[in-house]
Amino acid sequence: MHWGCVIDLYLTIPLLTSVALTQTVLLSRVDLWGARPDLVLLVVLVWAVVRGVDEGAVWGFIGGMTIDLLSGGPLGATVLALSAVALLAGQPWGRGIGSPTMRLLLLAFVAVLAHHLVLLTVLAWTGYSVDWGRAILGVAGPSALLNAALAPFVQRPLVWLERKVRRERLFTL
Amino acid sequence: MRESPRRSWLPLALIVVGLFLLIASEAGYLVPVENAFHYVLDPLQRVFSRVAEATGNLFQTVREVRQLRAEVEDLRAQVDALTLENVSLRDYRAEVQSLRALLAFTDEFSISGYLGADVIGREACDTYPCGEVIGEEPNPYLYYVTINTGSQQGVEEGMPVVSAGGGLGLVGRIAEVAPRTSKVQLLTDRESAIAALLQTSRVTGLVVGQPDGTLRMEYIPQEAGIGVGDSPGSGQGNVSLGDIVLTSGLGGFMPKGLIIGQVTEVQQMDYELFQTAVVRPAVDLSRLELVLVITSFEQIPLEEPPPEEP
Repeated sequence: MHWGCVIDLYLTIPLLTSVALTQTVLLSRVDLWGARPDLVLLVVLVWAVVRGVDEGAVWGFIGGMTIDLLSGGPLGATVLALSAVALLAGQPWGRGIGSPTMRLLLLAFVAVLAHHLVLLTVLAWTGYSVDWGRAILGVAGPSALLNAALAPFVQRPLVWLERKVRRERLFTL
Repeated sequence: MRESPRRSWLPLALIVVGLFLLIASEAGYLVPVENAFHYVLDPLQRVFSRVAEATGNLFQTVREVRQLRAEVEDLRAQVDALTLENVSLRDYRAEVQSLRALLAFTDEFSISGYLGADVIGREACDTYPCGEVIGEEPNPYLYYVTINTGSQQGVEEGMPVVSAGGGLGLVGRIAEVAPRTSKVQLLTDRESAIAALLQTSRVTGLVVGQPDGTLRMEYIPQEAGIGVGDSPGSGQGNVSLGDIVLTSGLGGFMPKGLIIGQVTEVQQMDYELFQTAVVRPAVDLSRLELVLVITSFEQIPLEEPPPEEP
């Protein structure tokens, strides 16, 4: 890991902590037919798309840790779920298929489903009783649709941030 | 700009660390680490909560004006009805007082009414730790809230939590305690199970949370039957629609008599050992603001079995 990545943690940790706090204080109250906007997930997903799997995984780890500390669930559950999202989103899937926005929508839909599947598996493994049918059809499915629709709105500010970070890195180097 | 494929070990290493965290957390080794993080996160969460509350209140006030108008109309109608009821109750009270005097009953009668304004009023915050809800559960499959009181205020795991505003009743129990915050497992969480009884029929059961955020009272004996008609208590020993569900206090984890909710549906199959009742929570758990943690209560004394006669 080079020093640029370490220096970026000064940006990453406060940013992801703020996003996670916004998620727990504000967005977790939103419930649209079982769907919840998941800002931390979308930020990790978009950053993995923009910056690659390595940085996406680091963001997933930090974001997941913060969410797990603020949650009543087991520590590590969201870390694993968001790492899966970063792994999926950081791969060069479907390049050349449709427009970039369409690819992002599809990727977000699949990644949110994967996130929920990992989360449910970890919960089941740690002894929670999971109603799989209801969880997938009633929560994961609607959440995947909602978050896929929200992904382009998260992409814009993060692309702007990525450009700014890259430019500053160039000046520093 | 994409990273070079040389560093592809990083995501896998982080997944391994995540798995290690999960195992260590389940084994209980990470509690001190979690508490240390909470020292940093708790004040931040409070600040975020205050900002969100201030902003949210502004929008909510506008949204609630219409709803409040309708509620005012309803309440006016209720006041009229209650005024009439009050007049007749005053007559009853006078009658009861005179009868009690006749029976010299007053001095001996002890009221065990700890539930109500004494426990739930805001003034009780001087006696019991009150907690403001500062965070909701980010995991969509769990039902917890974070409150701003913790071990420093004397909160311990397992303590019952009741609402202190709006609807009155049991909210859940303390599941995790940090120095300045605690996580409350709501009644609606899938892993929540509370020993309960029906107010009028005194039938016991177990109130468990459901994945859709509702409650079910399970393990109600079949012998209890279903009440005739829709009115509460329409048959002694029966499960009736509208019956109030209270904590039974069995097991010693909860005080007896806290309101859990109201029976809205009874599901009975002749071939099953038990019947089930769908229960509407007394408290709107999605709109909790101020809660009260009950730190000590009188436990139900366990009855000694009668000595066997020779």
